Amino acid sequence: MAGIYGEYAETLQKVMDQLIGELSDYNNEVKEKTGDGIYEHLLGRIKSEESMREKCGRRGIPQTSESALRVMTDSIGLRVITRFIDDIYQIVTFLRKLPGVTIVQEKDYIRHAKPNGYRSYHVILNREVPYPDIDGRQPGHYYIEVQLRTIAMDSWASLEHQLKYKKDIGNEELIVKELKRCADELAGCDLSMQTIRNMIREEES
Amino acid sequence: MRILLAEDEQQLSRAVAAVLSHMGYEIDVAENGLRAVELSGEKTYDCMVFDIMMPVMDGIEALRQIRQSGDVTPVIMLTAKSEVSDRVTGLDAGADDYLTKPFAIAELAARIRSLIRRNDSYTPKVISCGNVSLDTSELELKAENSVRLSEKEMQLMELLILNSGKELTAGQLFEKIWKDDESTPEGVVWMYICYLRSKLEAVAANVTIIGGREGPFSLKEREAL
Repeated sequence: MAGIYGEYAETLQKVMDQLIGELSDYNNEVKEKTGDGIYEHLLGRIKSEESMREKCGRRGIPQTSESALRVMTDSIGLRVITRFIDDIYQIVTFLRKLPGVTIVQEKDYIRHAKPNGYRSYHVILNREVPYPDIDGRQPGHYYIEVQLRTIAMDSWASLEHQLKYKKDIGNEELIVKELKRCADELAGCDLSMQTIRNMIREEES
Repeated sequence: MRILLAEDEQQLSRAVAAVLSHMGYEIDVAENGLRAVELSGEKTYDCMVFDIMMPVMDGIEALRQIRQSGDVTPVIMLTAKSEVSDRVTGLDAGADDYLTKPFAIAELAARIRSLIRRNDSYTPKVISCGNVSLDTSELELKAENSVRLSEKEMQLMELLILNSGKELTAGQLFEKIWKDDESTPEGVVWMYICYLRSKLEAVAANVTIIGGREGPFSLKEREAL
């Protein structure tokens, strides 16, 4: 049985590797200038066959390559973890300027945190690449979803994720409330650290 | 420590001002209630002392207006001996204490000290300015989003909100919040102002802190800028 991505599975990998390479070069460039990388680490994944089919099913659309590559936008997913909040916005600016990149959707859950305390920056790119796509175009177009957040936001999200998939937790109400409090404390800390870094850099210059 | 004295009898106000400033207080004198209301809108005081019978605006009306503006600075009323109803009206209008004329200045000084000591517990738990609210028991700063503040950040934010629109010098803020930390340099005020600015922005507040590195600082609504 052919995979849901059909003949485009390899291209997805190439498109992802290209963006990871560009971000990694940018990271090294910033590191040479300031002594600090622009991100702490970077993860990329092609959405697995199983979860893509499951998601199509959940949305009530056919489990086809067309659905996976044209309706869904997260076949390629990148997560960029930074040390400081400003680094997130700087990376988004970098992504915006990359050749062949069009921003399809942008959600700033840092400025506008979700009610549960979730903070992260989500951006969906449409990238033109020198390979054919499912519409028969060459250069073709592929979606890439990028999530950017600080280390603090990331550890919070992983804790919150655990809650989401656990059934029947006692005193769930309290845990939800405490998680929200933690998110706000971490956000406070992220902002304080950003301020201190700005002050140190101002002193230097 | 700064005290506002509103008294129309010049001899008495001069004597009280002299003694209190000798004790180390900074004294501003208002010759009537209207002037007292104006001064209290411009500066922050640790305690206010108001005569009741004054021309232009009496002490009770001045106190009422000051309380209406949200100012919770402790106030002592000076009343004539026979005026029981004045004491009642004064206390009901928001006075914290009264003293019957004639009085010993030492007693006035003692009452001022006692009120300043107790002042901390007078402030309500949740205070607000513009779309921002500060929950002082939860250390939560909230507008569209919320963040947690440290204890000192909370104290600074509280002062700025309670005195919104007024100018506060770096020295005043340092004196109020860090007076017990001998090892802390005064530059800490600027750092905490910067923390609060970024936090106000992060919660999408419609108020912001005005002022450069050396101060003075004040909290203002963005539209009003």
